[in-house]
Amino acid sequence: MYVPGYYEFCSRVKMIVGHDALERIPGALSDLHAKKPLIVTDKGVCQAGLIDIVTDAIKNSITIGAIADDVPQDSDLQIVNRLATLYRENGCDSLIAVGGGSVMDTAKAINIVVSENAEDLMKFSGAGALTKALKPLVAIPTTSGTGSEVTLVAVVKDHERELKMAFVSYFLLPDAAILDSRMTLTLPPFITASTGMDAMSHAVEAYTCLAKNPLSDSCALAAINLISENLLTVMRNPGDKDGRLAMATGATLAGMAFSNSMVGMVHTLGHAAGSVCGAPHGSCMAILLSFGLEYNMHKNGHLTAELLLPLGGSQEYIKTPKHLRAERVVDYVRKMNHDLHDASGGRHARFFKEIVDRDGKQMIPRVQLADIARAALSDGSIFYNPEELDYDDFLMVLEHAWEGIPLDRSRIKKG
Amino acid sequence: MGDYREVQAGSKPLKRSYIAVMLWFVGRAIQAAARVDKAVREEFEQLPEGFSFALGVEPHGPYMIVGKNQKGRVKYLGWKIEDKHIDLKLKIKNIEAAVLLFTFQESTTVASARDRLIVDGEVPHACAAVRILDIVEVYLLPKLIARLAVKRYPIWSFRRKYIGRTRIYFRSLLGY
Amino acid sequence: MFLPDNYEFLCPVKTNSGNRALEHLPFELEALSARKPLIVTDKTVTGQGVIRKMINAFKDSGVTIGIFDSMPDVPDMQLVTELSNIYRNGEHDAIVALGCGSIVDVAKVVNIAASYSVKILRDLAGDNLIAHPLSPFVVVPTLAGTGYETSKFAFIENLTFSSYFLMPDLVVVDARMVRSESVETTVATAMVALAHAAEAYTGPAKNPLADSYAYAAIQYVKDNLMNVLKKPRDTDGRLALANAASMAGCAFSNMQPGLLHILGEAINAMFHIASGICMGILLPYGLEYTIQKNGYHTHDVLLPLSGFDEYAGTADNLKAEKAVNIMYEMQQDLYTVTGGKIPRTLEEAKIPKYMVNDIAEKVFKNGAKEFGIDDYRMVLEHAWEGKPMSWD
Repeated sequence: MYVPGYYEFCSRVKMIVGHDALERIPGALSDLHAKKPLIVTDKGVCQAGLIDIVTDAIKNSITIGAIADDVPQDSDLQIVNRLATLYRENGCDSLIAVGGGSVMDTAKAINIVVSENAEDLMKFSGAGALTKALKPLVAIPTTSGTGSEVTLVAVVKDHERELKMAFVSYFLLPDAAILDSRMTLTLPPFITASTGMDAMSHAVEAYTCLAKNPLSDSCALAAINLISENLLTVMRNPGDKDGRLAMATGATLAGMAFSNSMVGMVHTLGHAAGSVCGAPHGSCMAILLSFGLEYNMHKNGHLTAELLLPLGGSQEYIKTPKHLRAERVVDYVRKMNHDLHDASGGRHARFFKEIVDRDGKQMIPRVQLADIARAALSDGSIFYNPEELDYDDFLMVLEHAWEGIPLDRSRIKKG
Repeated sequence: MGDYREVQAGSKPLKRSYIAVMLWFVGRAIQAAARVDKAVREEFEQLPEGFSFALGVEPHGPYMIVGKNQKGRVKYLGWKIEDKHIDLKLKIKNIEAAVLLFTFQESTTVASARDRLIVDGEVPHACAAVRILDIVEVYLLPKLIARLAVKRYPIWSFRRKYIGRTRIYFRSLLGY
Repeated sequence: MFLPDNYEFLCPVKTNSGNRALEHLPFELEALSARKPLIVTDKTVTGQGVIRKMINAFKDSGVTIGIFDSMPDVPDMQLVTELSNIYRNGEHDAIVALGCGSIVDVAKVVNIAASYSVKILRDLAGDNLIAHPLSPFVVVPTLAGTGYETSKFAFIENLTFSSYFLMPDLVVVDARMVRSESVETTVATAMVALAHAAEAYTGPAKNPLADSYAYAAIQYVKDNLMNVLKKPRDTDGRLALANAASMAGCAFSNMQPGLLHILGEAINAMFHIASGICMGILLPYGLEYTIQKNGYHTHDVLLPLSGFDEYAGTADNLKAEKAVNIMYEMQQDLYTVTGGKIPRTLEEAKIPKYMVNDIAEKVFKNGAKEFGIDDYRMVLEHAWEGKPMSWD
């Protein structure tokens, strides 16, 4: 196993995992000396009945301060401030976040405001601005997933000033994360697919990019194994409790991996596509993943090759000659997208031109690829990508991802 | 008690001086490159009015600061960070990490992958700053060393590379 | 992949490892709001010039450090009282343990005393009796270590403290600080780490989160121990072994003690043979025992031991057996490379055969009822003779 010249790894979230993990929340809160949580969530989670399951599990032992269910799809500064006020008004002393990425981000941001008595959240953006522990935060993911329950980042949009604020600090890590199969049992197949591939892309990029280290590698390998074994299973059989718990675990392990090893060009382009066109994050990751592996192959193909074991299994690994394994991995990822496309009744997109919104309208028109390429230049994850990308490189990859044709390797400028 | 003592470790004057000189040179080279090189000029044009950024070592420096003045010209603004508003600070966590960077044992990419740097400011600006630094490194360093410092050594025309390099060295030393 | 139904996992330890890791310490302490650390170490460490490197790491940081370097070989509660007074009088706000073994134990207990009062210290011995976070605590190992350094345990006099709050906030693994040790010590410490990691990976409380630490630990020991023995100046190898110990500590802090731990510690107590040497002897037998008890748990322990190609090329029903064979081969290699210094069996370790029963009885009587007395006896007998257990 590779010994890095220097690395850092930290994942200090207490994990509580099981089919009835929610019932252990009161114990976790009491260990943190917390008695009155604010539950932060969104309407989708509420409507799916998940908040009822959570409150049923805890209400006999805990006084719930309030339930705030109006977090929008993109975490928003106004909401953060309003919910911080709600927290104070109800005399809360802790937070429980139940939801996906933006609920988690919102809860982390609320935590900054109420712990630091912040008037202006902006002051705490960037790295190093937080200097002491925040209020207790328990994270309950309802997708598998963004991994936000174990990451040290929160992103909040200030829609008024059209700014995106990123907060980075170990103090943002939740004190505890609850993985309970009940939270994803009713997750619709389309979202299962896109969030599952989001997790897959986290693990794959953490393993193949520049900040890899032995602990993130262990997490990433286990994550890839769990996701590849369980994603299609839970697509076809959504009520499979063991499968759902496996996916949740895989997503958390992927989160632990990338929180410490960062990600690369797949996220650079995915973030850009999301911010320019509003395309769903998971869908973009799923599509871009194989292209990222192709683009970087001359630099990290030997690492990509190793992923054939957790992705394809022992048989596939041993029968594929060493110099062909990386290509097989690319094929596997593409095949996964095709299978997910079928299993989701055509809703999971295999390439950019297939991504549509609820009304069937194309979300990424070809003419916007230039804007996405330009936006990609501003994303920090590119630092960790093994190969350099400039505007032309970004555009080239985007064009291939749009059509869904394998990358023309002769067009890659090798450093 | 004989077994217990308090120690104030002191400083590393030689290393600090070396880093200070390197930073001074890099700052002046950025100022020069903004006049000589189109790509650097365009990067600065995309940055907000009056934008300034600093590169240096925590906790007590040394630092170098560059920024755009009211007329939009890029200037090296010295080493004192206390009395200025600076939009972006690229902070190296300690003097040893700075030595690794400025003796090219660790490139900017490797240094950031190894958590040696902190970005205090907006990430899109940091991306631009790193691109500017990469270009300046290609100008300042011979290919053998620059290849270690940047991720992908660019293919430039003779004119850009050699004449540009001469002009930048000249301007950096003379300060215009 | 094996997934348990219900478990918990916590590892609060941050790892900084590699070239110039030590120089990050002032920054990390600042992030923990600590500006005046107390460094606790002993004269063996200071004699190695390592304390000079520690002081240099604080140069240019503006931080004042306190250094206490007179840790005795066998520390006691009086020392803890003395150190907590030094801590308070010096207005320190963080503890840095520079060393391994009892240095770290003392530092952990002093940390408890600094947050609570020395008077009630004995009342806090036991499981999970510490109710809130302690002062910032950093471990800088000067040996590869056993893993107890990053674990939730602290031992002093006859007391055992156990709490997640005792795990260090940060472990700094810097090759310049990790010194070469004798062959016996290198093997002993690596084997404690390997045994604990292997038990975490194959035991009844196995879970994917602990596995992520255990997997890396097993692989690092397997890949590096022989190289370090053959080439003591292999700094990357020593760095890897130190990493492995730290990771093993994180993994086994989330587990109940396994057979290797229980028997290894018992033999150490009775015969004063290093527990790592004991665990190294018992490893293949203990692993065989576990496989026969829970086969489905154990076949993937082959992966960190053998690497991807060999793992993929081995049929599923033969994976566990292969893992055990690798352990036997490792024992043999250790014996050969060290010129016979590392015993392969309890007989070679000069333990009389008739004592095997005594060990089993003592262990069982002392309350380690996870396993039956016959199980202990069976593993010990096979480990005495060097006779593998049958595979039917």
